[in-house]
Amino acid sequence: MIGRVIRYGTAALFTVAALFPLAWMAVAGFKAKTEVVATPFQFFPEMWRWENYALLLGDAAFLRSLAVTFTGAVLFAMLSLAVNALGAYAFARLDFALKRTLWFVVITTMFVPGIAIMLTSFVVVTQLGMLDSLAVLVIPGAASGLQVFFLRQYYLGLPVALEEAAQLDGAGPWRVFLHIFVPLSKGAFVVVGVTSFLAFWNAYIWPVLTITDPELFQVQQYLATFRSDRSSEMGLLMAGSTLAALPVIVLFLCFQRHIIAGIRISGLK
Amino acid sequence: MLAPLLALLGVFVVWPLVHAAYISFYTWSFYESPVFVGLGNYLDVLTDHEFVGAVLRGLAFSAMVVPAQVAVAFVFAVLVKSLSRRMAAFMKVTIYIPAVISEVIAAIVFSLIYTHRGGLLNWFLALLGKQEDTAWLGESGTALAAVAVPAVWLGVGVASLIMLAGLLDIPETYYECASLDGAGPWTKMFRITLPLMKNIILFLLVTGFAASLQFLVLPLVMTQGGPVDSTTLPNLFIFRHFTNDLYIGYSIAAALLLFAVLGAVSAVIFRLVRSEKAMDG
Repeated sequence: MIGRVIRYGTAALFTVAALFPLAWMAVAGFKAKTEVVATPFQFFPEMWRWENYALLLGDAAFLRSLAVTFTGAVLFAMLSLAVNALGAYAFARLDFALKRTLWFVVITTMFVPGIAIMLTSFVVVTQLGMLDSLAVLVIPGAASGLQVFFLRQYYLGLPVALEEAAQLDGAGPWRVFLHIFVPLSKGAFVVVGVTSFLAFWNAYIWPVLTITDPELFQVQQYLATFRSDRSSEMGLLMAGSTLAALPVIVLFLCFQRHIIAGIRISGLK
Repeated sequence: MLAPLLALLGVFVVWPLVHAAYISFYTWSFYESPVFVGLGNYLDVLTDHEFVGAVLRGLAFSAMVVPAQVAVAFVFAVLVKSLSRRMAAFMKVTIYIPAVISEVIAAIVFSLIYTHRGGLLNWFLALLGKQEDTAWLGESGTALAAVAVPAVWLGVGVASLIMLAGLLDIPETYYECASLDGAGPWTKMFRITLPLMKNIILFLLVTGFAASLQFLVLPLVMTQGGPVDSTTLPNLFIFRHFTNDLYIGYSIAAALLLFAVLGAVSAVIFRLVRSEKAMDG
């Protein structure tokens, strides 16, 4: 009996610690600006106001940042899937010159922290004339050693017998990849795709460096700018944060089964 | 099939890294031709007390974030193992939700919680009998810890699920045998669970350490590194030099120095953990 109380008490504590800040954020979006931070604290607003949410959903700049970020995130997820899955397949199944050396290089890129190459990457994209375009956000980060590693592990686990029959019928590596590996990769692709989408959606530093055109502002950029320019509009700020967090939370909830299983695979196994 | 991967990694990771290593030996700016200075930049970095201060602050920050994160993850894993299947599924989703939230949003929400007058935290502590309000982000004594809390909040989901996966891998028969021999819950915890979880805890400590040293957006948005640099973590220090200095050899040397060490440590641990798994079959 006591054990049960402790168990459920601790579970409740974890739930509150994880979700309270987000719940408060969403509810504070319904408050007037003087109400968000006020003593005594009240979780619910005096009166539920839709103004903040309505204002943001009518704000062209905010909607554009959501749309641009969403488009970029979808393109980014697709590009990284294509590039990394092909690479992973090649490393898992094909023979080619310098395979070991190249694999070492791919693995090593996993351990290069963003800050170490941030400035020279900036030089590269400047010289390529990519600044202030969606391409500068989508292309440079798409290849990922970690994702190649993850997908290769998955492909190494698939039995070779699967493709042998197809190869006897004369299917080349592209056919084998597209018709045998891709259909079997659904779960792994969901993990990689969602991870890429999240990383793109939540990125802040790289957009700040490479995007100055307000037409291309990313949603995190919009929020951070809003916060520094109009810090007194707290209700509006919380509503904006809620709307910016909603897509990723929904995305996660849709695919939570795959993602949680994916952590099990990518963790140590 | 390999071409797109190698091209992208080459242009956007390998070349920038090589170029960065090259620049770190020069005084380099966008406007002038570079001048070779040998190890000059590295010496400047190592003798700069601001850089050393940022690194020490980074270590202090890690010392707050990582043990808290691993301890919470452990308690979570033990708890979830004892719950019914349905409750366990619910808790796994719940604990992971903060992990999908951006640092910018976490910074915004936690900054408001910390507000000096009328903030939620001060109101709550006043209920518990605390007399004076604290400006959590405005005082150099509390600001670093105040930034550490959202860092734990963001990172604990992944750590918890990895911990749980490890815990569930311990065969139930071990515990059953121990029970037959009359072992109580504490004996099982210290004789079975902790020794068998050693690798996973080590893995989480090291990856947590590497991740915690790289927080940049949280302090940037919450405090801009202040007050009086008390939240200027290593990456924020380097980022500021990047964006303010005309000559960037210095900041590149700092970044490479810091992360050569960090990268090496994580690579070694990664190899160790993997090879042990390989031996286990």
